Amino acid sequence: MSNHNTADSNIINVAISDDGCIVVRGEIDMAGGPVLEAAILEREALATDPVAGSCEPHAAVVIDLSGVSFIDSCGLRALLGAARRAGAQDRWVALRAASPEVARLLEITGTTAMFRMEPVGG
Amino acid sequence: MAESLPGRVLGPVVVRLPPEPSLSKVLRLAASALGALGGYSVDEIEDVKIAVSEVMIALVEHGSGNEVEISLAIDADFIVRGSTESAGFDADHPDLMLCRTVLEGVSAAHGIAVNDGQAQIWATVHHTVTD
Repeated sequence: MSNHNTADSNIINVAISDDGCIVVRGEIDMAGGPVLEAAILEREALATDPVAGSCEPHAAVVIDLSGVSFIDSCGLRALLGAARRAGAQDRWVALRAASPEVARLLEITGTTAMFRMEPVGG
Repeated sequence: MAESLPGRVLGPVVVRLPPEPSLSKVLRLAASALGALGGYSVDEIEDVKIAVSEVMIALVEHGSGNEVEISLAIDADFIVRGSTESAGFDADHPDLMLCRTVLEGVSAAHGIAVNDGQAQIWATVHHTVTD
């Protein structure tokens, strides 16, 4: 599992699990949003690289958000960016086990439908 | 352990800070503590935290790059006010639309204005008093 936790963003830990799922723990705010975005971009690059990653054309970017205790519009922006890029390639982004905080922000911004929601254990 | 003081006017707690993204958490912690003192519920405090974070985002990402001032207070509603120098501040920037949408969802009222060289943003989160 590779980590994207940086020295100045110790309120968030973003890692890519062995099965390619992006696992987020902590708070996705103005400091954490760019960390999450970097991890998503890395995962996307792996998914489209015919050598390094899956070649499955509808391969999902799966993001485990069960450990997210806070999210604001910066975090949402990172998720929406991923959803837009995925949609442009006829793919989708799955949000696994979205915490109540994440679910609420998606609901109040009307963006839930932009993602495939997966329960715990997806 | 501090007990809650529902119905009391609390604050303002005024914080001046550099436009550093990681300091957003400091403001959320202060706002959480103030909300707890004011008898706000867990859900209401979550809304306060989001409102504070959005105010900080608007000022840091769209402000002049200079110091930001945030005021937190409880007077019937929880009131968060923020300001910074307005040089370069575009109140109609597309990225601010997401901020506005989130604020609309968590606050009773909010506003963004540019006056007298200052970009100002405010939001109020309503408190439901329970027996």
